[in-house]
Formats: sequence, C-alpha cells, structure tokens
Amino acid sequence: MLERYIGYAYLVLAAIGFAYTYAKSHDKARKAAQGGLKALRGVALTFAGVFGLVGLLDIFVPPAFIERVLGSQGGFMSLLAGSALGSVAAGPPVAAYPIAASLLKSGAWAPAVAAFIVSWTLVGFVSLPFEARTFGPRFALARNGLSFVFAMIIGLLMGWVL
Amino acid sequence: MKRLLEWMRDELLFVLAVALYVWAFAVAPDKALQALAVGGRTFLGILPIIAAVFAALGLFNVWVDKKKIAAVLGKGGGIRAVAIASLAGTILVGPVYVIFPLLKAVREHGARWAVIGAVLAAWAVKVPMVPMEIGMLGLRFSVARIALVALAAIPIGYLLEWVMGIRRPVAAIESDERIVIDE
Repeated sequence: MLERYIGYAYLVLAAIGFAYTYAKSHDKARKAAQGGLKALRGVALTFAGVFGLVGLLDIFVPPAFIERVLGSQGGFMSLLAGSALGSVAAGPPVAAYPIAASLLKSGAWAPAVAAFIVSWTLVGFVSLPFEARTFGPRFALARNGLSFVFAMIIGLLMGWVL
Repeated sequence: MKRLLEWMRDELLFVLAVALYVWAFAVAPDKALQALAVGGRTFLGILPIIAAVFAALGLFNVWVDKKKIAAVLGKGGGIRAVAIASLAGTILVGPVYVIFPLLKAVREHGARWAVIGAVLAAWAVKVPMVPMEIGMLGLRFSVARIALVALAAIPIGYLLEWVMGIRRPVAAIESDERIVIDE
C-alpha cells in the first residue's frame, strides 16, 4: 500500500517536471510526452510477461526450490546462479525489479538477487551480436565477461552493506 | 515467418510467460488463475510508479543532451576522465541501439577504451528507473546498488582497456593513439 503513495508522490513530481518543461517550451514538452509514451509502448508486452511470470513464480515455484538454487546456504553457487540468470534474461532493467522482489520474498539470498539485477543491467546476452558489430568481438566478449564477474562481486558487497 | 521469429526474440519474456500460462492452465487451472491474480495485483500496486518512471524518461530525453555528454567524454585521458565517464554514464538513458552507436562515435573522436567501458558499465544505473527499484526493493538496496555499480565502472573501464591492448599488433595500438593525438 505504501508503495502506491510513493508512486503518487513520483507522479506529482513528474507532473511538476512536465509543467516546468511546458512553460519553457511547448515543443519540448510534447517531445518528452511522445518519447515517454514510445518507451512505454516498447516495453508494454515485456511488462505483461514479467508480471505474469511474477505470478507464476509466486504460485508454482515452491520457496524451498528458490532457497536451494539462490539461497544463502548455496554460497558461491547461488551467486553464480543469480548472475547467470540475470545475464540470459532479456528485457529492460525495469522488468528485473518485480522478479527480484519476488525472489527475495521467496527466500533467495540478497547477494544472489543483487548479482541477478546487476548482471541483468550490465550483461547483454541478447545484444551481444549488436555490440560485437559496433565495437568488435573482443570488446563485446571482454565487457560482458568482466560485467558478469563484477555482478557477482557487487552482489557480495551488497550483502555486506545491507 | 522471419518477422514472427524476430518478434518472438524481441518479446522473449512475453512469449515465455504466455507459453508457461498455457501449460499452467492445462495442468492446474485454479493455480494458474491464482498466479494471474498475483501478477495483476503486483502490477496494479506498481502502476503509478511505472507511469511516473516513463514520464521521467521522456523528460530526461529532452533535457539531457546526449551530444553534449558525448563531447565531454571525448576529451581528457586520465583517471579524471574515467571517473567523469562513470558519472556521465549514470545519467545516460536509451536503448542499446542508440547508446552503442553514440559511444562508437565518441570512441572515434578520441576517447580511450577505459572511458567507453566505464560509460557502458555506469549506464546500468538508469537514474529514471530508480523510483521503481526503490518501490520494489527498498531505498537501501537501491542506493547500495547505484553506488557500487558507479564505483565498479572505473575498474571495469581500465580492465577493459587492458584487455583491448593485449597482444595487439603495434600498428593497431599506434593507430589508436594517433586518433587521440589528432583530437
């Protein structure tokens, strides 16, 4: 319930931002609205899929299973699983948060979930071919490999901070 | 057919969810309905934040000048440049097909590999999305992740530059440097 109020507070902030932009330039405000809507349209199906998966995760996957794969007893293996899961996942980063929250609720280890989120945003398995075409295969492989390892390190540090 | 496959690849999560629901409704319709309800409730809870996040994204797009950021990144070479790259990367938003070509242009204008690597790492922070992260995972989680990713961007940049330099013919490295001198 609380998060709904936070959401309304953000909406008010966004409205203020738009009002300010509109006052500065009508054209800019229109472009901002179009850009936002376009981005939203781009991820609409992904969102439908993600929240669908969150429901499935909640009802069909027993917490014991998530604890075994991503739980704290798993240690390094949980961390590795979290990072691997985030790497192969395709979709915008906003899609990672609901799934991560659901995993945490089911008893996953916080560092493993952190590794999952970080690798989701840092490692782009699906965009790898495009990255290799843009920067060369060496860059693409090195960047994604490094990011994978760093996702696990960041995950561990997050467990220590939290 | 090819277009359908491409669409399925782009919407992998959606396709996966639909396939799993088809299976779920076949084996246990009651539980499948429950799952749908849980997903729907979660979605409705976060809907205001989603709306705000995409409004913010639109505002970012018009206020943050990508070309200006690119111009800043092309200059300088020391650790300061890499640290600035890490900061600039955090406010950069956009899909891969916009950001990759942009950074390629930055690279061609003389930025070192460490800068490109740091920007791409810090790009994972995605400031406009942060409200959603806080809403679902809490403030502490979000702040810790942002700080750690922004910090990690610097060693990631340097390591990447090191990898790019391993066993490359001298001519290739020289041509890299020549670009810097030209700038």
